[in-house]
Amino acid sequence: MPNDKSKHLINTGEALDNLKRVYTDIRTSVANSDSLPEPLYRMRKGVKKERPRSGKRRKVAFMRYGYYDIAFRFFVEECLDADFVRLPEATRRTLELGTLNSNDYVCAPFKHILGDYIEALELGADTLVQFSGPCRLGYYGELQESILRDMGYEFQMVNFSEVSEKSAKETVQYCKKKINPDLSMPGAIAKFVVALEMIESLDRFNDLYLEVAGFEEEPGACKKVRKAYFDDMMQVKTMQDLLTAQKKGMEALEAVPKRIPNDPIRVGLVGEYFTAVDAHSNLGIEDKLQAMGVSMARMLNMTSRNLRYNEKNLRAGISEYVEYDMGPTSSLTLAAAKRYAEEGFDGIVHMKSSGCTPEIDVMPALQRISKDYNIPILYLSYDSQTSDTGLDTRLEAFYDMIAMGKAR
Amino acid sequence: MKAFLGIDTGSISTKGVVIDEDKNIIARSYLWTEGNPTVAARRVADELRSQLQEGGYGDAEVMAVGTTGSARRLVGAILGATVVKNEITAHAVGTTHLHPDVRTILEIGGQDSKIICIDGGIATDYAMNTLCAAGTGSFLSSQAHRLGVEVEEFGEIALTSKHPASIAARCTVFAESDLVHKIQVGYPREDIIAGLCKAVAVNYLNNVGKGKKIVSPVVFQGGVSKNVGVVKAFEDALGMKVLVDPDGHLMGAYGAALLAADSPVAQWKPFSFDIDDFDFRTREVVCQKCANHCEIVCVYRDDELIDAWGNRCEKGEIRIARKA
Repeated sequence: MPNDKSKHLINTGEALDNLKRVYTDIRTSVANSDSLPEPLYRMRKGVKKERPRSGKRRKVAFMRYGYYDIAFRFFVEECLDADFVRLPEATRRTLELGTLNSNDYVCAPFKHILGDYIEALELGADTLVQFSGPCRLGYYGELQESILRDMGYEFQMVNFSEVSEKSAKETVQYCKKKINPDLSMPGAIAKFVVALEMIESLDRFNDLYLEVAGFEEEPGACKKVRKAYFDDMMQVKTMQDLLTAQKKGMEALEAVPKRIPNDPIRVGLVGEYFTAVDAHSNLGIEDKLQAMGVSMARMLNMTSRNLRYNEKNLRAGISEYVEYDMGPTSSLTLAAAKRYAEEGFDGIVHMKSSGCTPEIDVMPALQRISKDYNIPILYLSYDSQTSDTGLDTRLEAFYDMIAMGKAR
Repeated sequence: MKAFLGIDTGSISTKGVVIDEDKNIIARSYLWTEGNPTVAARRVADELRSQLQEGGYGDAEVMAVGTTGSARRLVGAILGATVVKNEITAHAVGTTHLHPDVRTILEIGGQDSKIICIDGGIATDYAMNTLCAAGTGSFLSSQAHRLGVEVEEFGEIALTSKHPASIAARCTVFAESDLVHKIQVGYPREDIIAGLCKAVAVNYLNNVGKGKKIVSPVVFQGGVSKNVGVVKAFEDALGMKVLVDPDGHLMGAYGAALLAADSPVAQWKPFSFDIDDFDFRTREVVCQKCANHCEIVCVYRDDELIDAWGNRCEKGEIRIARKA
């Protein structure tokens, strides 16, 4: 194995640990106590817990999350050798289903994800995957499983919260046990490296897309290129396929005729992990800004939050604003905002689901960044009822404000 | 003479102004929207027309129209507007034109409230209330109704109070139950009304104004700025003078008219006040082209489709055959 590949493999372990970064001090105290909390849901007596049988292919579904279904598919089909249930574009019905079956006060991502799961089960999925996370998200898997079982669905849940304290190897074994007991570990791990590279590739493409798509000469040209690129990425089976598709996609995007002004309006997008990334959760804010001819940047993605996340380093860079980590994406939000301010961006948009405590905590520090660097920040809170009209009004006003200031 | 029309259709009231070439207001109108923005816009246009004739501006020709407010698109389609602008920009443009040195604009309307920070005549920051209408004009109206007072009298009554009652300001629902409780235990009416005005100001500063540096000169506008009780509550809370322009409630419409006047001449679309001769209708269509089922609003003028919106993707796009 070439040297860089093996290095990447070692990083894989660290990357996985990042996926389930915990507040060690808090968690250990809970873990040490003898009385662990009761599980929310207990199997009814007489219902036999279904175990994956050898030879039976599982049908696995993830929640919708931006363009990452491409990487989720690769992970399921190529790494785990199971079937991936690809969800079509989310619709209003998705969110209605999710909202109807959720507690009203739970944050919007919960509702979106629950809607995704219901649609996945309707499409024949028998295995659902939920991540672990250092905020309420860590409890969502269990709660969603409980709700879905009450609704009468039968499936198995792969909930990474259950192994959030475990090593990377145990995590992979957990997947193996749950999804495909016949899995060959060395093969799976080699493919896993490709899956990680795929996430980084997708994010690199998206970074360029956000930066330049607002200046295309022919409306829709960049979107067309992106769709072709996503279609190619969906077919990837090997590292070589991945590199080829990536090169092709990047070159095609660069080749799209653009009219880039000398001093374009640049806006940085920051905020909560789900809402700031997922277009259905933020009412397609990136498309709206693109249509206005804005160059965007979003540091928040799976590459920077999961694969290469180093909270301590990030926090060291914003030490004048915060002393402690305030949870999931808080340090990343502030570090990104500060970077955009330093790089002379014209504005920052902060997005969160209504009631997201960590991102609310971030806001006073953002206000200080706004003052120190004289950069306007638009704060947006999303709930399942948020209307497009209100968002358009705020975005247009934000744009006008920046554009009029720049025209001076 | 050339003139420009600006119409601001809000949730509660519809405002309209006509300005001349020197950007002076030559006709103004302020009416309740009454849940029907298209009719309200026509009534405003009618009133403006008769004002122009009475005021000796019968020869005024409206060269371009600007619309703003939450019904800006609908009204813009009906009036054939050149400029359809969000109310934040319109307010900033209107106010900075009349008060070039303004640093902070406080605005409280029927359903929303906003703050705009200005530096050197340019908006540098703004915020708008989200999700909740606590402390806006409609809240004051409904409480005035509960107290059996006209909302227009609210301010004067508030000023007579020496000990404003303290009323929970955080949330309309809590404020209302707090208010009912204070009425029932026998607080004087003027103290309750003054307490409400104070609650509106405090709620505004704690929510919309949070984290914003409020620098003098401060201009307060929107329908609620007509309430002297709230003005005084702001002055007390901020410790600075708060300016209220007699045309403050018209600033959105004024800004829209200014933007129309500043638009490129090639885009001007002369407007005649005869819109009454046309029949305007809107229809909601549920797009069946994908599972999202977007609700598309179609606007018709005499059975001719003139505009449509509400689609999320190009599948639901309705192309309008525009007549030259």
